[in-house]
Amino acid sequence: MSSLGLVPPGLVVIAVALLLPLLSRRVGHALGLAATLGVLGWAAVIPTGDYLDVQFLGFDAILFSVDDFSRLMALIFAFIGAIGVIYSYATDAENKQTAFALGYVGTSIGAAFAGDWLSFVFFVELMGVASTLLVWHYGGEAVRAGFRYALWHGLGGSLILAGIVWHYVEAGTFIMETGAGITPGVPAALYALGFGVNVGYVGFHVWLPDTYPRPHIAASVFLCVYTTKTGVYGLYRGFPDGHLWLAYMGGAMAVFGAFSALLQNDMRRLLSYHIQSQVGYMVAGVGVGTALATSGAFAHVFNHILYKSLLFMCAGAIIYRTNTSSLKKLGGLWREMPLTGVVFGIAALSIAGFPGFNGFVSKGMVVNAAHKEHLDALWYILLLGGVGTFMSFIKFGYYAFFHGEAQQTVSGPGLNLGQKTAMVSVAALCVIYGLYPDALFSILPGGGASEAHPFTVSHIAEGLILAALGLIGFAILKKPLSKVGRVPDIDAVYNRVAFYGTRSVVVGVTELYAAVDRLAVRAADTAMWAARNPAASVERVTPIRIANEARANGSGRPALQADIGQSTMIMIGVLVVGLLVLFLFV
Amino acid sequence: MTDAIVLAVVVPIFGAMLSMIAGLRFDRSGWTVAALTCLAQLGTALAILYTVVQDGTQRYELAGFTPPEGIELVADGLSAPVIVLVATVSLAVVVYARQAGPRGNAFYTLYLLLVGGLAGVTLTGDIFNMYVFLEITGLAAYALVASGDSTESAVAGLKYLILGTIGASLFLLGAGYAYIATGTLNMVDLSEQLAAAGYGSRLVLGAFGLLVTGLLVKVALFPVHTWQPGAYSNAPDSVSVYISALVSTVAAYAVARVLYTVFTPEFFTANPIAQTALVYAAAVSIIAGSVLAVLQRDLKRMLAYSSVSQFGMVVAGFALLSQSAAVGGVIHLIGHAVLKGGLFAAVGVVAAQTGARSIDEYAGLASRAPLSAGLVAVLGLSLVGVPPSVGFVGKFYIAVGAVETGTWPIAAVIFASTVLTLAYFARIIERMYFAQPAVEPSSDGAVAVDVGDGVSADGGEEIHSSAGASPEMVAVVVVAAVAAVTLGFAGSAIESFLEPTLVEVFG
Repeated sequence: MSSLGLVPPGLVVIAVALLLPLLSRRVGHALGLAATLGVLGWAAVIPTGDYLDVQFLGFDAILFSVDDFSRLMALIFAFIGAIGVIYSYATDAENKQTAFALGYVGTSIGAAFAGDWLSFVFFVELMGVASTLLVWHYGGEAVRAGFRYALWHGLGGSLILAGIVWHYVEAGTFIMETGAGITPGVPAALYALGFGVNVGYVGFHVWLPDTYPRPHIAASVFLCVYTTKTGVYGLYRGFPDGHLWLAYMGGAMAVFGAFSALLQNDMRRLLSYHIQSQVGYMVAGVGVGTALATSGAFAHVFNHILYKSLLFMCAGAIIYRTNTSSLKKLGGLWREMPLTGVVFGIAALSIAGFPGFNGFVSKGMVVNAAHKEHLDALWYILLLGGVGTFMSFIKFGYYAFFHGEAQQTVSGPGLNLGQKTAMVSVAALCVIYGLYPDALFSILPGGGASEAHPFTVSHIAEGLILAALGLIGFAILKKPLSKVGRVPDIDAVYNRVAFYGTRSVVVGVTELYAAVDRLAVRAADTAMWAARNPAASVERVTPIRIANEARANGSGRPALQADIGQSTMIMIGVLVVGLLVLFLFV
Repeated sequence: MTDAIVLAVVVPIFGAMLSMIAGLRFDRSGWTVAALTCLAQLGTALAILYTVVQDGTQRYELAGFTPPEGIELVADGLSAPVIVLVATVSLAVVVYARQAGPRGNAFYTLYLLLVGGLAGVTLTGDIFNMYVFLEITGLAAYALVASGDSTESAVAGLKYLILGTIGASLFLLGAGYAYIATGTLNMVDLSEQLAAAGYGSRLVLGAFGLLVTGLLVKVALFPVHTWQPGAYSNAPDSVSVYISALVSTVAAYAVARVLYTVFTPEFFTANPIAQTALVYAAAVSIIAGSVLAVLQRDLKRMLAYSSVSQFGMVVAGFALLSQSAAVGGVIHLIGHAVLKGGLFAAVGVVAAQTGARSIDEYAGLASRAPLSAGLVAVLGLSLVGVPPSVGFVGKFYIAVGAVETGTWPIAAVIFASTVLTLAYFARIIERMYFAQPAVEPSSDGAVAVDVGDGVSADGGEEIHSSAGASPEMVAVVVVAAVAAVTLGFAGSAIESFLEPTLVEVFG
């Protein structure tokens, strides 16, 4: 253990986050920047294999354990953390919000370095808490969305925890054995389903477009980075050798996300669907599980974080200046916001996988890995997802920057230095990593970097063909797409089912209780009445008219007494019956 | 100390004669004679109990004739607790009757005769002798019931007389058949001779049917209970206390004697239908008695019907032929005597204090007579079977026996009877504690005058039961209530005491 390994870096960031609300905006953000940059540097130099083991909840825990995967995650997490802090400062985010965001960053870094399942899931749960607070902080519509977000992640976290506990029962330890993954069977299924919420499996994805468009624009930048990528990382840790189901789920996410995005008009909602789509490529890469695919998945994590945060910053910049997030109300911004336009173009070409931009490199690795494994169906699906991505970003760019003549008067202030710095530096990285992928390959884990040959003719042709198909597709679908309003996702069903389901349970329980209560009270009342009015109650259930008799004899009492003669008859009858029974049945 | 056995029977009978003779000379000697006699009898009873505990079963040959020809008195684990119960209750009721009346030497003469009859039934080891004592008991009881002040008392006494005599006659017929079948009247000898005669013999079966039916009339099981509510409710309060506590109790003891000592469990093994019929007749009585009790408005009548139900329980306990159930039957026999006697005594106290006799008149009793209301509540809840009272212990053992023998319907009926018992006592407790008085105090007073006015004893002398209950009346009820709870803790002691006798019966 080197001296660098004395303090877990995630905890440092969390400590800064706790300090932040007490400081001035400038000092606080500077400290946040320093902390994230410090972690960046720390992650770059700490030797592989370093670790810190402690006792946690009575179990052996490894608060951090450095390998190539966690190092890569920490580098990009810390870098975007720093960019996000700058962007937050530049977009007037409150200290408190940045504090929540840094808590989110710190727990994510903690999760990336966790060397055992328990502290891993612990940090993942804390991420859910911190990100929920980050969403809630904005107030308004974000509160209800944040609540749904918290429910989803509570569910996911519980499933993960269940899987890990089961794994513990089977394996006898919480320590992550290198390359071992999670115990197959039920633990693996629970674990995969739990992280399915994090990465946004089709059907589990609804929290993504529900939550990410709603909070502060800087908060969206943070949100689009950590939760889903930690999910990918978690899936890799659980399934280091991949799983075919994961691969196809990744493909489904890629296509579903891309084409759902095409239907959106809210910029950040469109981008949120693209998170699902792009994460789909990563999940597919993890699922295919070969060296190239795994390396491609992590390269895509790295690149995606760059261009997706850039896209959210662009969308944020447009909202910042126009107070509008609907593509239907925007247009012609090219003249007003040329820098944002250029940056957006870089980011859009990156995400779409145009040759020369970073997305092309990493997405190509995943697609190529699928092709090499002869997963042809998956290959076509992933290519189709690429077409959808092109189409939706052509749509975004067209409606935001070109369509019409500056329909929206730009009311907000011009972009300030902080925003420009953040956006331009990330855009530059997108281009650099696109043109010089070896810079990324040198730190890429998984050992598949040597198999990646992005700039072959066939790959470049593939990228260009996808772009052309995207253009053609958009040209054909432009008209019908312009008529599409807000398209409901499956969460419309979930929310109704959850709402009416919960309500019916509550109402049902309440009504059942009330019914039982009524019944009990009525039974008690009836019993009391019957006890007080025995004659009348006998009359109610039998044809016997006791009350008349009782009234007639003036005693108010049922005349049930047998007289002496009747009694004698009864007695003799009992005797006869008794003797008959004895004589006949013995 | 075997002399104590005969003394327990002879002392009250001599006391009765003494009371009558002294009455020729002294107007008010009855109570003193009765009290002394009962005290002496309690002494003999305790001596019997002590001897049985020390040395086991004791036998006394009357007049030196050796059984089976001669008559013998027997004190064993079954009869010893019952004779102590008889003696104790007798003394308590004498204390109670001093204030509550009826007064006069004639009453105490009959009373002591009744005590002697009960002691004789309890201790006799001879079936014809048992009939004789049953008749002594019955005749004294008929007269005591009829000693009430109203015409209803007389009618009730007459009804009791006729039905009780028919019942006793059936018993006598049964004894006759048994004698024809075996040529013996001694119980222990009968048990051997009946087995020799064959349990399937019509004579033996007829004897069984007649003996048991006759006794069940005396016990007052449904539907041959018809004499009992009138007798209990129309008798003077002291008499109600006494006969409710002891007369049916001793008859039920006689049932156990006949079942266990005369016919023995082997008879039922040979004739399972006899057991089944008896058990289910008892079960019907449990339910019917409770339902009829719920329908009553007069406290004493309700308590009388309650006895129909509770004796169903006792007979079921005996007829289940399991040791646990038999223990439960004896405990419930004793417990019911204490509880029901205590309740009738409490009703008498309340009537003396407030004039209230019907359930409606009990409204708000807790504020008018808190101690009496509390005593009624304690005794009532004990009868319901709230732990740790004796009522709970008895029912518990019987239920255990029912479960052991797999007689699930009886277990269910016992549970249901608890609920039904609760039904009629909850009503009283609700009235006493949660209801406002429905009638004005003035009309209460009128009722009190009605009740207290002109108690006519045998000699036609006018005796007024005073307005108000004496401390000793209340004390008797308090003792009963305390016993109801403390006897609950004596359950296992009673069980270990009974065990040798029951082991002898059940093998």
